Parts: sequence; structure tokens; C-alpha cells
Amino acid sequence: MRQGRLATSLFIHAFLVAMLVIAVFPVFFVLQAAVRPGQSLYTLTLSLWPDHPTLDNFHYILTQIPFPTWLGNSLIVCTATMFAGLVGSATGAYALSRFRFAGKRMTLILLLAIQSFPTVLALIPIYIILRLVHLVGTPLGLILAYVSVALVFAAWNLKGYFDTIPHEIDEAALMDGCTPTQAFLRVTLPLAVPALAVTALLMFITGWNEWVMAQTLLSDENTYTVPVGLWGLQNDYRIPWGYFASAALIVSVPIMTLFLLLQRYFRSGLTVGGVKG
Amino acid sequence: MNRVPARTILAYFAPMLVGITLISLFPIVYNVYVSLTNRSLFHFRHFQFIGLANYATLFSSLNGDFFIVLFKSFLFVGICIPLFLLFGMLTALAVNHPLTRWKAFWRVSLIVPWAVPSYITAFIWKFFFNEQFGTLNQLVRVVFGPKAGLPWLSDPTWAFGSIVIANTWMSYPFFMVVFLGALQSIPLELLEAAAIDGANAWQRFWRVTLPLLRPAILPAAVLSAILTFQVLNTGYLITQGGPFTSALKPGATEFVMIYAFRQAFQLFRFGYIAAFAVVMFALLFAVTMFSLRFTRLVEEEAR
Repeated sequence: MRQGRLATSLFIHAFLVAMLVIAVFPVFFVLQAAVRPGQSLYTLTLSLWPDHPTLDNFHYILTQIPFPTWLGNSLIVCTATMFAGLVGSATGAYALSRFRFAGKRMTLILLLAIQSFPTVLALIPIYIILRLVHLVGTPLGLILAYVSVALVFAAWNLKGYFDTIPHEIDEAALMDGCTPTQAFLRVTLPLAVPALAVTALLMFITGWNEWVMAQTLLSDENTYTVPVGLWGLQNDYRIPWGYFASAALIVSVPIMTLFLLLQRYFRSGLTVGGVKG
Repeated sequence: MNRVPARTILAYFAPMLVGITLISLFPIVYNVYVSLTNRSLFHFRHFQFIGLANYATLFSSLNGDFFIVLFKSFLFVGICIPLFLLFGMLTALAVNHPLTRWKAFWRVSLIVPWAVPSYITAFIWKFFFNEQFGTLNQLVRVVFGPKAGLPWLSDPTWAFGSIVIANTWMSYPFFMVVFLGALQSIPLELLEAAAIDGANAWQRFWRVTLPLLRPAILPAAVLSAILTFQVLNTGYLITQGGPFTSALKPGATEFVMIYAFRQAFQLFRFGYIAAFAVVMFALLFAVTMFSLRFTRLVEEEAR
């Protein structure tokens, strides 16, 4: 019996180690590529760590190409999206969670319908409309496109969070003489701060990692967001992949850490659906 | 809260209603209008209303693009989801096993692929699949000699498999987390009772654990199927939809959203692809509503 347990334990841990290698190797690969000098990654033989690790790639992308500008652009676009999404949807989500009115079911189904309209397909009319009003190629156009996704996502998400706060709490506030707005601002909203923060961060991360809309709506190198810039860095085998690798580390390590810390808050499938694009 | 006046309700709704109507709903309605025109790059401002001709093109032939990319996408989902489930379940069972040590460490490190931005995942795997310098063929050469190598992205069947591999790597952690949550909700007493009644480990798994996991797994699998059907980044960024065997036929990995993207933004067939979008949306929304009815979410939400 004891030997059986040992064998089982060994088998399970061997499997976990194998899966760990598969799960983490691509990340390790980016790390070693980032500290690898020049074109030495382009070789026919396997080499897992460079002979002479260097930080040259980091130095290059931070000084020789507009990578810092892309970081700034991403920061601006994502922050604007996050605030617009949050401010635009918070009261509406509260109304959906607390008030009774005709058409509530219809509104929920409509939100769901918009939410299930795929980004790439929505991009077609958005591109045409933005081109007609001369906003293609501007950060504002991209922000509008992102907010169109973020609003619906935040409305669903926040409504879900408001639902988990007991109705009795704001009903007690109303009994004590608060107006509905006072009950919302002074009672429910403070209780929902963690939820607001998580929703805001999820909107930020989604924008930070978004490629297809940015690629389509931006054309000038100086307005690129990070994903569009990185697309150019990895697409040409004449330039070292290490540039892309070092830039990828800078943009994704903080966001990955945030994601891993946040993942225990992902309550529903819809939240998850909104994150990966 | 019945005492809230209609005025207040409207005031609460106003920002969201105006925002969503203008920038989320209007483009979708506008898309329906575009689908009835011959709008393209050459007919951008001066286009004509052509009725349902774009829809007729879509459904004109069973060998047409529409059915080809639809079939490819169904096949892709049909292969991917069982793989996601298998790896998600195996890792969850291993992490959750009573003999496993350092559970927290495995739990965090095995979901790392989920945290990597999907476009970066695509670029990493694109490099792995490179036939000359790619890590996978470097490994193949270590084992089978310097002349060996697999056509990861140049052969249509291999390319399809390569996209499946990249997506499985990226997607199994979601199912691992779902399976872990579901496993932890199974009362240990049930498994102990089964053991006392003489069920071996295999029987306990198939007869007790698995049936109890199903309610948690099914909605997650449906959601993942809907998202996998719409794969873009981890397909387009690796193969651009190729390899292409004919200029007039969709490529080997040209799934529905990749097809829509290429037709819209490389060939600029706006009217045609707007019609494609309407049909695709109808399909996706029907599946979403059906799956929600299934899980009774809407009934709960609308109470």
C-alpha cells in the first residue's frame, strides 16, 4: 500500500513538472531572447541560454525606436477608456440592479446582444464611420472604439457586483430618509469600490492587450499603441527578435502579475470573456 | 424599491443609454445598412443600394467561402475544446490530488499561459513554428539529425494543428481553474462512501467525480467554444490565415473572424463582409441565448 502511494505521488509530480515546463518555457524563451545579443537567435541548433547575456536589446528599444512613445500612447488610450467606461456605466448598472421598470429585460438582452457582437465584425462599421468623420488614425478614434466595447462590459460586470450587495442595505438608507441618489452615492458605491477597481483594471488590461482594432485604426508610427508597435518588431527577420522579446517583457510582466493577482476575482464567465480578446 | 420616480430612473440610465446607443448600438445598425450596399474601397462614398445581393453571394454555393470557413471553424472548435478539457482536467486532478505537495505553487505557475497577452502568445509560437530557427524544429534536429524538420506552418494540415497547439497552450488554464473550483465543491464524504461500498479509484472518478463536475464544466465549455470559434490573434498573427493553396479559396487556417478581417481590411469588400457579419452575429447570438437559457442566467438576471 505504501509503495503504491509512493508510485502514485511520483507519477503525479512527474506529470506536474512536465506541464510546468510546457507552461513556463515560452515565457523563459522570451526572457533568454531578450538578453541574447544581435542575431544569435537565428540559428539552426538548439541553444537555451546565450553565451554572453547583455541588456543591449533593452537599451536599443528604449533609445533608438519610438517604444517609449508607444508605451505613453497605450497608457493614455487605456486610461481614457477605463474612466469613460466606468463613469458611463456605473449609474446605469445600479439602475439595472436595483430599480424596477418596464423594458428592463429588453435592456439586459440588448446588452447581451451587443456584448456577443464580435470585435472584428463591429470593427467594420466602426472603421467606416470613423473614416467618414475623419477620426481614423487618431487616438480619439481608437478610444471611441474601445469605449464602445468597455461600456457594455462594465455595465454587465458592475450590475453583477451590485446584485451581490444586499438590497436591504440601501433600502434601510431609504427608510432613514435618504433619497435614492444619496443611497447610491453614500451607501452602495463605497461598498462597491473593490468591484469598481477590478472592473476598471480589467478594462485597462483589455485595452493594453488589444491588437486588431489598434492595427486597423492607427497608421502613423507615433500614434501606435504597444501591440501595433510590437507587431512590426517581430515581423521582419532582418531585425533581431531580441528587440521584440525585451519590449514584450517590459509591457507584459507588470500586466501578467496584475492578472495573476486578480484572477481569483473573476466571478463569472462573462468577466473572463471580456478579458481575453 | 418601487418608490423611485421614473425621472430618477431615466437620469440614472441617461449616460449609459446615450453612450451605448451612439457608439455601440449605432455601428451595429449601420452595419446592417452597409450589408445592403456594394460599398468597397472604390465605392466608399459613392456606393449603391443592392438589396440582398451580398447575402445571395454568401449562400450561393455550398462550396463557397462562407461554408468553407464556417466548416473550418466548427472543425477547429470540435478539436480544440476536447483538448482544452482534457488538459484542464488532468492538471486540475493532479493539483487537487491529496498526495500533491506545494499546491499553491502549481496552481499559480500552471495558469501562467492564461496571463500572457494573446498577441504575444501568437508571436512566441510563430517563432517556435519557424521551420529554420524555430525551437520546435531545433528540437526535432536534436533527435532526428540535422536534415530533419517538420512543416509546421507551410503544410495546410500541420498549420491547422499548429494553431490548435498554440490555442491549447493558451486556453487549458481557464479550464484548470474551473475544474479546480468544481472539484473543491465535491463533498469528500461522497467519495469516502463510494470507497467503503467497494468502488476503486477509477470507478469513483467515472461514477462520482465526473457526473458532479458536469454542471460546472458545461457552461464554461460553451463559453470557450463561442470564443474559440472567434479565434483571431492566435490564428491570424501566426499564419495570416494561410497557407493558401489557391488565390480564390480561403487558406487552411482561415477561420471565420480571420476571413472577415482579411476580406474587410485587405480586400476592402465592406458591403459583402457586413452581410457576413450579420449572419455570423445571428448565429452567435442564437447560440449565446440558447446556452444562457440552458443555464437559466437570464431568468435570474431579470427577476
